[in-house]
Amino acid sequence: MTPRVFLRLLAIWGGVLVVCATMIFFVVRIDRARPAAGPYLVSVWQRGERTARTVVTDKPEVVWQGPADGRGAQRVIEQIVDSAPILWNSWLVLGHSIVPARDGVSASFDGRTAYLSPDDLRKLEAYEFTFALGPLSLVMGIDVNKVLGALAHELGTEPHELLRHGSFRRFAVVSDAPYPRKVSEADVTVEAIKSSVQDAARYLSRNQRRDGTFRYELDAMTGEESRDYNFPRHAGATFFLARAGSQFRDAQLSRAAERAGNFMKDRATLRCGAFACVGEGDQVDIGAAALALLAYVELLSGGNEEFRAPALELAGFLRSQQRADGEFQHFYSVKEQHPIDVQVEYYTGEATYALSHAHRVSGDARDLEAARRGLSFLVARSPLFLGSHYFWGAEHWTCQALADIWQRAPDPVALEFCLDWQAVNRNLQFDSPPAPASYDGGITRGPFMAPRLTPTASRLEAAVATLEVARAAGVPAAQVELLERQIKRAFAFLLRYQFTPGPTYSMSNPRLLAGGFPGSAVDLHVRIDYPQHAGGALLRYWELEQK
Amino acid sequence: MRVTFGVLNALSALVLLVGVFGVVQPRFWALDVPLATIALLELASAVGLLAKLPWGLRALSVSAWVSFVLGLLVVSCILLTIVFLRGIHGDYGVAGLAVSALIVALLVPYTVVLPALELLWLKRQRGESLS
Repeated sequence: MTPRVFLRLLAIWGGVLVVCATMIFFVVRIDRARPAAGPYLVSVWQRGERTARTVVTDKPEVVWQGPADGRGAQRVIEQIVDSAPILWNSWLVLGHSIVPARDGVSASFDGRTAYLSPDDLRKLEAYEFTFALGPLSLVMGIDVNKVLGALAHELGTEPHELLRHGSFRRFAVVSDAPYPRKVSEADVTVEAIKSSVQDAARYLSRNQRRDGTFRYELDAMTGEESRDYNFPRHAGATFFLARAGSQFRDAQLSRAAERAGNFMKDRATLRCGAFACVGEGDQVDIGAAALALLAYVELLSGGNEEFRAPALELAGFLRSQQRADGEFQHFYSVKEQHPIDVQVEYYTGEATYALSHAHRVSGDARDLEAARRGLSFLVARSPLFLGSHYFWGAEHWTCQALADIWQRAPDPVALEFCLDWQAVNRNLQFDSPPAPASYDGGITRGPFMAPRLTPTASRLEAAVATLEVARAAGVPAAQVELLERQIKRAFAFLLRYQFTPGPTYSMSNPRLLAGGFPGSAVDLHVRIDYPQHAGGALLRYWELEQK
Repeated sequence: MRVTFGVLNALSALVLLVGVFGVVQPRFWALDVPLATIALLELASAVGLLAKLPWGLRALSVSAWVSFVLGLLVVSCILLTIVFLRGIHGDYGVAGLAVSALIVALLVPYTVVLPALELLWLKRQRGESLS
């Protein structure tokens, strides 16, 4: 074969590729911006379940006009804006043809058509299929089995029959449902923030048991409660409740914080050498002790003197876990009574922040020195490693420690570290357009997935702490302004998805969930650390604005 | 050139074998079989070229053709997947496009350019031996 023939064959390959690519692009794309002209899906929801669905081409408002059909029933009208065929009836192609939280899917079989709207798919928790690859957990498109099962049920056939003989389309809708709320940067006012924090704190207080523990994780769609529990998260929720109770002088929240604190003090405190620690079983971590210490200090500041001695004990335990280089040993073997020098994410930052906070009530110079060394360790970056400017974790306690310690032991290197990290976070924020308006300000976890609220919220806790120090340290106004805008956009993202009151029609017990922050637009579970982080960030900003 | 192509094919085979069997988990025949086939063919051609064995050029021809055709197939699949995802998700941002383009840019030299150069060199070799 001559070079000329060779190049000609390559050109043919390129041409065929371009034609195929163009065809695929125009077949699968849908135009979300065009005026809606498709049929209306009129759904009636009652006690969190869809009880009826009618598809009409006009006058959807006359289909169902009031609660005569049942108590608490609610009508939702969704109009199809555009639709496109699913390219191929295969598990793989169907799984990757639906945009999470935005697309619905329809199936036609035997002359009948069934629709799963975005509300249905959210209710089914079908928008994300989690695939375990060794230690990694990857989201690989939608959960095709759930989608096929639901569509087949509506069409009176079997899922495998439907996949083989049905024809599928995806579609975009406009809905009259008020969730997510339409909140822009301009709506993030001090009043809106205060109200959001109060709602989040009340969510935790409402979901507290008599013994002081919380309903750890609630599924907003089913109302089911997870059986798991986690002491660092219990302590974090207690810390937030104590802060909210004290800032808003809300006795109910303060009592809830006290109950949660008493649970740790009386029922989850163990002996770790000469000191007390928090947890259960043969091994504890310093995360629970650090967050419990933060909560105790906050409760102590609110006048609960019974937490003084336990706070000092926990501070002693954290100091005893610190190494000479400032790092902490993150675990302790209760059974064998010795520290375990293993590190995981977050705990060093939590311990540093807790020791700095403890110094405010202990007055013990050792606490401040331990916090100062911990902070120096956390922000040390080798000038030889260029990647230190590009690779960042989700660790969000360091910058809160920076803010807490700044007036007593200012660390300019830590401030630079936190400003750099926030610059990276700004780059990770969704911008609308091209992103959907409801994602604007959220931290991306990839272009094909809905952003999660808690990674945004925890970064916000650090961002507001950085803003506080940046203002105090005289950082140039332009940089401070960037940070403020980034914070407000991210708050707008969180407020859009907070259950105030949320998609109540599809929730089995909306009263229980009110004020909670879900995992994401497609994961409507509320775990206790979700309102803790979101509420914590908002409260920190509210406190800053009061100054 | 014989030595250069021998060394390059040996390196490509090594990268493929380590990449597929050392890094990628779990095992999946649809990926393992074609990539292992290419790697073994490249390894055989490298041995043949470096040791100046009589079947060296023939082995190079087979490995180059197989690599070239499968390479074009892989690049086509990746490009069509990018277009498909862009059609489904709309404009998913510069970062997504940059990552997709980077993957193609990293693959093309090994899967398309190297075997193409080998085929052109083989063509010239045959021309010279005939004249």
